[in-house]
Formats: sequence, C-alpha cells, structure tokens
Amino acid sequence: MKAAIRHIMRNRRRTILTLLAVLIPVYFLIFMFGFINSMMQDMFETATRFDTGHVQILAEEVKGSGSAMPLMRDTDVALAALASVDGIEWSTVRLDLPALASVGERTRTVYVRGLVPEEIDPVSNMSDRIVEGEFITSDSDGVVVGQELAELLDLTVGDDMVLLGVHPDTSLGAIRAPIVGIFNAPEATMGRSMVIASLATVRRLARSETVASAIVIRVDGVTGPWDTSRLDEVTAALSAALPAGYDVQGWLDLVPFVEAYMTILTPMLVIMAIIFFGLGALVVVNTLYLSVMERTREIGLILALGASRARVMGMVLTEAGIITVAGAFCGALVGVGLVWIVQAFGGIPLWGQMADYMKEMGITPVLNMNIRAIQVLLSAGAMTVVALLAAWLPARKASKLEPMEAMRYVE
Amino acid sequence: MSNSPLIQTLDLAKTYVTGDIETPALRGVSVELHKGEFTAVAGPSGSGKSTLLHLLGGLDRPTDGDIFLEGQAMSKLSKDQLAKLRLTNIGFVFQAYNLIPVLTVLENTAFVLELQGIVRAERIKRARKILAELGIEQYADQYPNRISGGEQQRVAVARAVVAEPAIVLADEPTANLDTATSHELIDLMRRLNQERGATFLFATHDSRLLDRVNRLVTLVDGLITGDEHHTN
Repeated sequence: MKAAIRHIMRNRRRTILTLLAVLIPVYFLIFMFGFINSMMQDMFETATRFDTGHVQILAEEVKGSGSAMPLMRDTDVALAALASVDGIEWSTVRLDLPALASVGERTRTVYVRGLVPEEIDPVSNMSDRIVEGEFITSDSDGVVVGQELAELLDLTVGDDMVLLGVHPDTSLGAIRAPIVGIFNAPEATMGRSMVIASLATVRRLARSETVASAIVIRVDGVTGPWDTSRLDEVTAALSAALPAGYDVQGWLDLVPFVEAYMTILTPMLVIMAIIFFGLGALVVVNTLYLSVMERTREIGLILALGASRARVMGMVLTEAGIITVAGAFCGALVGVGLVWIVQAFGGIPLWGQMADYMKEMGITPVLNMNIRAIQVLLSAGAMTVVALLAAWLPARKASKLEPMEAMRYVE
Repeated sequence: MSNSPLIQTLDLAKTYVTGDIETPALRGVSVELHKGEFTAVAGPSGSGKSTLLHLLGGLDRPTDGDIFLEGQAMSKLSKDQLAKLRLTNIGFVFQAYNLIPVLTVLENTAFVLELQGIVRAERIKRARKILAELGIEQYADQYPNRISGGEQQRVAVARAVVAEPAIVLADEPTANLDTATSHELIDLMRRLNQERGATFLFATHDSRLLDRVNRLVTLVDGLITGDEHHTN
C-alpha cells in the first residue's frame, strides 16, 4: 500500500489526470441527479398541490356516454368509503366543468374549477399566487383567472365574466361572475385555460347542488414522485371500499406527461452515465497502461525476485483502487458541495425562453437541486467499479510480462 | 561441501530464435554446483554466461537439457512454481543494481521477505541485521537515488542474501563499479560466503572478482572449456 501511494505520488500529473477521469463523471452524474430530482420534485409538487392531489376518486367513465370527464351525482358514497380508509392526510371535493368564458367581445374555451377555497388554500397557497385583486371565498360569487387568460381575454379585476357550462352530463347553464382576482399559475396551460370559482358557484353553472367531478386526496407521508408504495396501498384500499361506478386514479395517471418524463429520464441518465463513465474508463486504461509501460523494468525485477503474477496484478489494481476511490470521493464531494451551494442560495432563477419553457412544463423557472444519499453512493460506487474494471486490463498486462524481457525493456 | 550437488545441469542448451535466425547461446552444458561454493563463470562476451545464470535462476527456459535444484527438475515446474522457487531458493544480484525506486533501502532489502509473507516486525529485524552486517545500516531510510552505485549494489547483495537462499546468482555485479568499490563488494560477498556459508555463482569477466573465487568455470561459445578449483 505504501509503495502504491509512492508510485501514485511519483507521477503527479498522470495521477491528477486519472483522478479527474473518475472525479468528473461522478460529479457530473450527481449534478444531473440533483437537477433532475429537483425538476421532478417541482413537477410533483405543482401537480399534486395545484391540480391532482396524490389520488382522486372519480366517477367511472362509461364508454359511449359522450363524456371523458363523467360527473358524480353526489359525493356521499365516495366520502363514506374515503372515511373508512387509513392514511388520508387531506381531501376536498372538486367540480371541473368545460365552459365558454366571455368577457366583452372575447370568448375562450376554459375549464371552470369549483373548489372549497378554505380547504384548498392551505395545500396550494393559492392566495399567495394572487397578483392582482384577491382570492375567492366559499360564499363569494366571484372568479379568479390566470395571468395568461387575463391577457388573452384582455380582462382586468372588476370585469364581469359570462360562463356557459357545456358539460354533456349537465344541462346548459350560464352565470355572470365578477372577476375578483388574477393569479400567477404554476403552469402555463393552467394559466391559459383555468377559471377558479367556489364549488357552490360552479354547481350553479352545472345546475346541481350535489354534483362533483372528483374527490381530491393527499396521502400521509408521500414525499416525492418516486414515493409510490403508500399511494398504491391507499389506491388499493379505496378501490376495495368503493362500490361499482367509481374509479380511483393516482396522480401519475392524471398527469401522464410527468410519468412520460420520468420514464424518459431514467434511460437518459443511464446513457449519459455510460458515455461519461466510458470516457473516464478510457482515460484510466490509458494512464495505467502508460504507468505499466514506464515501470516495465521494475515489474520485471519484481517478477524475477519471485513475486507471483497475482501479486503484480494486485499491485497495479491497488494503485488504481486508491486513485479511483479518491477520485470518486472527491467527485461526490464536489457534486454534493455544488448542490449544497445552489440550495443555500435558494436556487438560480432562470429567465427568458428557458423560464417560459419550464413554466410550460409546470416547473418553477428556478434551477434548484436536491440529491439523495443513495444517488451519491450509486454515482461514486458505479464509477469506482467501472474504473477498476478498466484497470484490470493494464494490471493483467503487467502480470503477464516475462521477467527477463521486461528487465531488458528500454523505454 | 556435501557430495550431492545443489544444482546440476544436464546437456543444457539454449537457442534464441529471431525470425529465421537461430542463435545458440548454450550448446550442451553439464555442470554441478555444490553448497558453499564461491564460483565464477567466465568467458568472453556472447559466451553464454548470462544465459546460463538466467536458466539456473528460472528466469528463462532451456531449449534442451534440464536443471536440477536440490534434485528437483526445473523443467517440470510451471511459471508460478518457478516464481516460488526463485522466491525461496535463489537470490539475484544484477549488473544495474535494479532496486525498486519507490522503496527505501530497508524496504528494498526486506522486499523478498515481504513476498515470502513474513510478518513486518520480523522482516524489518532481519533486513536491519543484514544491512548492519554489510555496513550500510545508516542508509536504511534513504531512497536508492540518494546513495552511490556501490552502496546500491551492496543493498542489492543484502536483498539477495536476506532470505538465506540456496544460491545467489550475480550477473556482472562489479561491472558498473570502480576498483575500490569493486574490491569492497567482493570482500563483502566473500565474507558472506565464508561466515554464513552462502553459495555464490557469478557471471563475470572482471579479473578482480575472478582472482577471488574458489572455482572458475570457463565458457566459450556456449560450451564449458575449463573448470578449475582454486584455493583462496
């Protein structure tokens, strides 16, 4: 071991190169994990707090009924089933209706979301997103709209909006509602297409006092997009407790594009890891080959003195192991350090087209990072294994040298 | 000296082949070496001295014939068995010192003991003892590049004898040394031979060394042309 360390110190430039070949892929992978984790967490928070919850109870879709968003005539049965299931953190009844929204001369197709503001606000902090006017209350007749829709319909707080409910399960209904606030939607599509009103208001539009489109549920102890076991348990328990005619869907079923991102990201990360680890491995092979070539005479001497081939192989692998472990450790340190710095500054705000694009995807336009210990261990561990496998080739070459030929070797 | 030879060669031949060209280095050498001998193989350049030493040391394989070390046929040994045999039975001293540059004098001396798996405290004790015996204990913590050529060759001798091998094979050990240093080294090896009973076989044409051996085997063109016993 001592000799291995001295060998490593003998050619510092090459040692640093090998170290960097291990460090950079580890650091890069941790960086990517940090970024993707944060992005996925943000998408998860946006989707589950503002839109889907973790799980929803819906009316079962009947093929040929003409509605892809069937309504529940009342919520009593579903709420009773929900009460019998453990592990529910929060729930609320919601009614979403497709509608035509007109302000002055302009009309757009929208979704009118009826909710209980006092229940939804602690989860979504919707009132904090109001940029003009105020948020609605349960007994107000007003509506709030996203900034994007306000721009499209050229409306302002105080204007009246005429809403024409067009859900196939309800008879046509129309209401005139004052616009009491404009909100900054977490996702651009939501901002363009959503009008938020109290549940009672939207039920008037649907011409029913009991109708609902979903019971939105948050499950205890669910912390992130990969945290699915509790959701599966609650989904199964709810499905068992509900009679026929109801459907239980998880948040990933309700926002399939997030699941698509998650599905794409894993192979993407693997491909990037293969490229970076491969390049790292090539440098490790190259530098160790050079090291073995330079020390051919010395290795020949060691073999001549009676060292076994396994011993010579072990010598080269020990050196590679020391550099690799040090490189992986430093890479992990740099990666985690960077994540920590970004976190300490509360993320790096993005601007311009990048920010718009991220908002389109429902991601806060702030470059943030978070990393899990297992991902750090995985990045560092995988690179260590790859580098040691790469080191095996030059180590084998060293062990196969013929003592006398090696001792006569001239560089 | 016992009657059974320490090393015996039978019609030992070695031919180097480079492409279509065959170069015979040894052409049927039969010789016996006994324990405690202080022997030199002499001869002009290209006579096969070094080849004979390499074959005896298990560093190379003969084209024909066989070598018996304490009765064991070396031709029957695998590469790994030959390595083990070198480790336990043979000490080497090379012309170019050949110390490991990243190890100190003490570590170089103890290296063979380390390969043999001897515990650290024991190998340090034995290495220090031999360094003291050879008068180079003060360099124990120095790296080879910090000491002179003569001192490096003494370290090489210390490394060769520290594990008390059956025989020390020394290939032109004085070739790179000045006269005074050569004499010192020869005295030292002679002392190890007389006091410890270490068996030495040299390949050399250095007259300073040839004058001190008690047996001189002469090789010419790969054949033994003389085998004289001296009283020194």
